[in-house]
Amino acid sequence: MNNKIISAQGLTKAYRRGSEEIFALKEVSFVVSRGEFVAIVGPSGSGKTTLLNLLGCLDTPAEGNLRINGIEISGLKEKVLVKLRRENIGFIFQQFFLLPTLTVRENIELPLLFSQKSNYKGRIDKITELVGLKARAQHLPHQLSGGEMQRVAIGRALINEPEIILADEPTGNLDSATSQKIYELFQELYNQGLTLIIVTHNIDLAKKAHRVIYLTDGKIG
Amino acid sequence: MNFFTLAVKNLQRRRGRTGLTVLGVAIAIAVLFILVSFNSCYEKHLNKELNNLGMHILAVPKGCPYEAASLIMQGGVFPKYLSNKDLNAVKKIDGIEIASPMLLHQFIGPDGKPHVAYGINVNEMKRLKPWWKVEGRFFSQTEDNAKVLGKDIAQREKLKVGDILPFGPDKLPFKIVGVLEKTDTQDDEFHFLPLEVVQKIFGKPDQITAIAIRVKDISKIPEVTRQLEKIPDIQAVTITQIMGTIMNLVGSARALLVSVVIIAIIISAVGIINTLLMSVNERTREFGVMKALGAKGADIGKLVLIETLFITISGGIIGLLLSLFGASLIEVLIKGVIPYSPAARLISPEPRLIGFCLLFSIVVGFVCGIYPVVKSSSLTPMEAIRSGLE
Repeated sequence: MNNKIISAQGLTKAYRRGSEEIFALKEVSFVVSRGEFVAIVGPSGSGKTTLLNLLGCLDTPAEGNLRINGIEISGLKEKVLVKLRRENIGFIFQQFFLLPTLTVRENIELPLLFSQKSNYKGRIDKITELVGLKARAQHLPHQLSGGEMQRVAIGRALINEPEIILADEPTGNLDSATSQKIYELFQELYNQGLTLIIVTHNIDLAKKAHRVIYLTDGKIG
Repeated sequence: MNFFTLAVKNLQRRRGRTGLTVLGVAIAIAVLFILVSFNSCYEKHLNKELNNLGMHILAVPKGCPYEAASLIMQGGVFPKYLSNKDLNAVKKIDGIEIASPMLLHQFIGPDGKPHVAYGINVNEMKRLKPWWKVEGRFFSQTEDNAKVLGKDIAQREKLKVGDILPFGPDKLPFKIVGVLEKTDTQDDEFHFLPLEVVQKIFGKPDQITAIAIRVKDISKIPEVTRQLEKIPDIQAVTITQIMGTIMNLVGSARALLVSVVIIAIIISAVGIINTLLMSVNERTREFGVMKALGAKGADIGKLVLIETLFITISGGIIGLLLSLFGASLIEVLIKGVIPYSPAARLISPEPRLIGFCLLFSIVVGFVCGIYPVVKSSSLTPMEAIRSGLE
């Protein structure tokens, strides 16, 4: 098996603001190995989230090549990108984005609805337990603390058994004690062999990663 | 969890808005059900009622013959009369099998409401209406203090065979010798007495409201009608003409109802589309997150479509229940605005009609869902989620 799970070569992404072209990313190249824990850091507007969106197949680069698990994503149709995303990637957002009418258990289960996987009851229980929310499985998001909501989001990212976890500022809305618990959870996922790529402003969290990618003005610094 | 659970939970998020949209659909479907039911039942029961008159031609005093016919069918009183001389002239016309005189007179009953005394020639009437069945017996033509009641009036007034009632301006005792079995026509509302008795009690000797005529050969109806109209006081209307006239008279009321249905459906469709679009716009980022979690555009479209169908189908069911449970009240209102209505129920729970209304609510769901479904399913994940990430 190829050890490179992500391979980026000369990734460029530009947005137009009126007549002006703004480069969010400019010729970014890097490789992430299977099972690596990588932090992407940089000031606001440096292109961290744009890079994460490209890695998550939510967007496609204007130029350059990006291979996820050996598959070149440039030019792929949305249908294929959905499959790639579903089978390989778990997303964690800063604002959690839980569905307010679904319980903890149902939020964790949600991606299975789209991947049409059945007989996953045991896995839902296992994930709920892993993120430490077994006792709160029937609670609604508004009944949870920020840390608990982020743990639900992590559980939801894990349910489809992805190889890559992409997290955008996962501790951005949490206090330091809760951030520490979330980090411990990431450590556990890393120990299980998952590839973690985390965009963060949190220097403490970044220091715990095995590799840090610094972005400045859309370039690796 | 499945898409249906997810859709229902999404709708529960804004219960007030969803409830009002469902109510809008319910009103539209209720009005549709009432209109279609009314349309199909009205013509059917009017036909039945006219056939139950047992006659081919009605001879009435000159004036507006259709108004006279309508009043006679409903038990109203027409201010002009024919005479025995007219009756004798009618009986001389060739091709007439039965020419039965009748006198209708309104009086205030024991309940303080207007009732109708129907003076008949009982033997001729039994030949005109061979389906008449009576609990007890019919009176004889020479019997002075006997009457037969229609079923509805007997039930409403809790009267039975053998009861004695004061009747007429002099409150003379009359015995109920029989109660007609239910006919589902206006006959259920009348007090039947011998013609001569009604003429005597209400001081109308020799006066006849109308003559019910049956011809020997129905192909001769036009010829008999022509002969009848040669009698100076008489105007003749055939049952077919009465049917056509009544259908024309109610036509405008039906047209009004159709307009109400169309407006109700348009308003409810706009309401559904508005609700769904607001819901889709509010959840744009949520759909983006779903796409990031592995949802296809079709999954998002399916979710929105289920929400639409849930709204329209539940609205359809509630609308049908409303119209079925409120049928009696609605019927009273409708009967109040149309010139003539048969005695039978005009709104009935026919399975085919219920199925049609439910199917219609599904079609409305699909039609209203097209734009919101296309809009939500065609969002790219980045378009949908951008505000949440940057």
